[in-house]
Amino acid sequence: MSERGLQALRGFYRNYIKKYYEDAHRAKAEKRPVAWVTSTFPIETLLAMDIVPIWPENYASVCAARQASVGLCERAEREGFSRDLCSYSRCVLGSMFGEEKSLPEGGLPRPDFLVTTTCACDTHLKWFQVASRLYKVPLFLLDVPYNISGADSKSLEETHVEFYISQLEELFSFLEKQIGTRLDKTRLRETVELSNQTSELWMEIQGYRRTIPCPMDARDAFSAVFFMLCVPGTRMAVDFCTTLRNEIRERAIKKVGVVENEKYRLIWDNLPLWFNLKIFEYLNSLGAVVVAETFSHVWAGSLDASNPLESLARKYLPNFANASIKRKIDMIIGLVKDFSVNGIILPTNWGCRMMSIGETIVRDIVYKELGVPSLIIDVDSSDWRNYNEVQIKDRFETFFETLTRKQ
Amino acid sequence: MVIMEVLQSFRNCLLSRHDIARDWKRRGKRVIGWTCTYTPEEIIYASDALPVMVLGDLGGTKLADAYLPSNSCSFARSCFNSALRGDYDYLDGFVESNSCDNRGKIFDMWTHYTKIPNIYFINTPHTNTEKAHEFFYEEAVKFKEWLETTFNISISEEALKKAIEVYNTNRLLLKKIYDLRMKHPPLISGTEALEISLSSTVTPKQEHNKLLNQMLNEISSRSNPPKDGLRLLLTGSVMDNTELIKIIEAVGGSVVADDWCTGSRYFWNLVDLGGDPLRVIARRYLDKIPSSFMYHHEERFKHVVEMAKRYDVEAAIVFVLKFCDTHMFDAPLLRDELKALDLPVLYLEWEHSLSGISGLKTRIEAFIEMVGGVK
Repeated sequence: MSERGLQALRGFYRNYIKKYYEDAHRAKAEKRPVAWVTSTFPIETLLAMDIVPIWPENYASVCAARQASVGLCERAEREGFSRDLCSYSRCVLGSMFGEEKSLPEGGLPRPDFLVTTTCACDTHLKWFQVASRLYKVPLFLLDVPYNISGADSKSLEETHVEFYISQLEELFSFLEKQIGTRLDKTRLRETVELSNQTSELWMEIQGYRRTIPCPMDARDAFSAVFFMLCVPGTRMAVDFCTTLRNEIRERAIKKVGVVENEKYRLIWDNLPLWFNLKIFEYLNSLGAVVVAETFSHVWAGSLDASNPLESLARKYLPNFANASIKRKIDMIIGLVKDFSVNGIILPTNWGCRMMSIGETIVRDIVYKELGVPSLIIDVDSSDWRNYNEVQIKDRFETFFETLTRKQ
Repeated sequence: MVIMEVLQSFRNCLLSRHDIARDWKRRGKRVIGWTCTYTPEEIIYASDALPVMVLGDLGGTKLADAYLPSNSCSFARSCFNSALRGDYDYLDGFVESNSCDNRGKIFDMWTHYTKIPNIYFINTPHTNTEKAHEFFYEEAVKFKEWLETTFNISISEEALKKAIEVYNTNRLLLKKIYDLRMKHPPLISGTEALEISLSSTVTPKQEHNKLLNQMLNEISSRSNPPKDGLRLLLTGSVMDNTELIKIIEAVGGSVVADDWCTGSRYFWNLVDLGGDPLRVIARRYLDKIPSSFMYHHEERFKHVVEMAKRYDVEAAIVFVLKFCDTHMFDAPLLRDELKALDLPVLYLEWEHSLSGISGLKTRIEAFIEMVGGVK
């Protein structure tokens, strides 16, 4: 039996995304502290201090989904920012130069301060340096050592964990200075515990996607991951993930899949084409379903609320964005075996070195070890100016022919 | 004329850098490649190995293009291409770091696709707080231990102190060379200045020091100083060849100041003496004029502004290599800083290979004419 679309995600945009930005604007109007934050930053620290975290990257993906990102990118380019930079950053910088009224969701509320980390890329730091200069607000950097051995959460180098923890302490001093309130350690433990519950539910949900037919597609996962990324230490995230888990579990038991006769079970690396999420439906129409995204699995792992700082270090440090390509390869090999995968889609991201360099190594090693082929497609997550749908579809179809021959 | 011979020697060091390295090997010594100016070179020198910066060339990147996407740093691609072609087969080791997103992943590319043995990674903080200094000092200790274990040698404190002395001398002499560019007209051209600083990255430092001393002794007798032109400052990431400056100086520019990794930023700061040599070496790197990947990047802007004043420049060119994220973000900000000094600024974003060179030349020529016309 097959059925597209999940109950839990009905009205997702209206109930969660729109509300997220409305709440943020309200917080700003009520003069509550608002901070901008980037992915791989331990957002739990802000939530624990009642600081409203705003995710510009999420905003860029929203703008792309609403077909507004290119106009904003062009706005940033008119200010001298290169077209080859990360489209998320160009889109948000463009919104900073743009008219607030014409922006999706009224634009982003101005931050009182900015926090970022080197855990994913240099772009986060550089982009926020520009924002810090434009808005004349302070910027905190959580400076993260590069995980060159590709170690997982348990086998990280101790010096890296120590350096990270020592900076979390500096972060709290910075935050206390910004908002004039001290960190409540009980509150931090509670937030980390909620984050842990969200994370465990999320991994349980991902686990059900091993089922044939797969009960959940990439389009739903790329929406729902919002709770893991933007609001992981909240009751709302736990509630949502519980509902979603119940639905996915039931679909798995009843064998309700996205595609009835699955021909190709795929892994999707990096980001989706936010401006064209329909591509996943097109894949479904060819009998293909994405059963795992590296993006959904990178946040795995439990957090120990009795030891919040170290838990946060061990949650964020092993992110594959901050590691030798070995880390991603290990993850993909594990997923291929575990999720009965027969093809891997490796989309690069034009403005992102981290997501673009090394995909050939992934392709070569996974093929050598497991005989599973990969398809590298050169795209950009939010800037569609160089996107050619006909060519991309041709490449998918050729790739699927290869997979069929192999079967 | 002696001065021309000395200048030719610097040029030769660059042109025959692979021969110099192979010759070093024939004497039974090691050669270690490095790529980021945050690599604490003194430690390599103290191990009695020859540290050489891995450079690219302008001859295309066909081999590298099979593995690296077209949206990766074109300088990194050129270096990788040279390695794939076997130009660097003499290396006993190669040191990479996380000083940009390209570099982090290039470590994987070199490890996976080249034959170079002993590839090492130095974790470079992006801040220079006391905690970052402590972390980087530990990295320096680990790097020294790695050299000792890998090559079964021992690096003494004396050797480290000697390395500091030789490197500091090199830096001081290079600064004196740069002083020659303050004159109107400058006593050396921009092309010559880059040949001198760049050759320091691939030549045994003591030999380079000898050449620098000779140069400084002979310069006053120079009877053919470079042509006077529009005094320009060049700023950007890395410049591993003189083609761009040659183009500029052929159309009426006179490059008198720079802010390259392979120019002023390479040698501007000295190691402070005293105390544990590894500690002072490590400290020098995090505290030097920052590259654009650092948190305190605005100190680089200050350096550029200071250079513009010190060398009395009339205009500036911001030259960014394609897909160099950190510099692409800095470029509009740096342009504003320079414009605040009432300097005309030309912003160029170009491939390392300088492909489409005639278009590049036209833009530079038009800029120099425009500024010259305003004067």
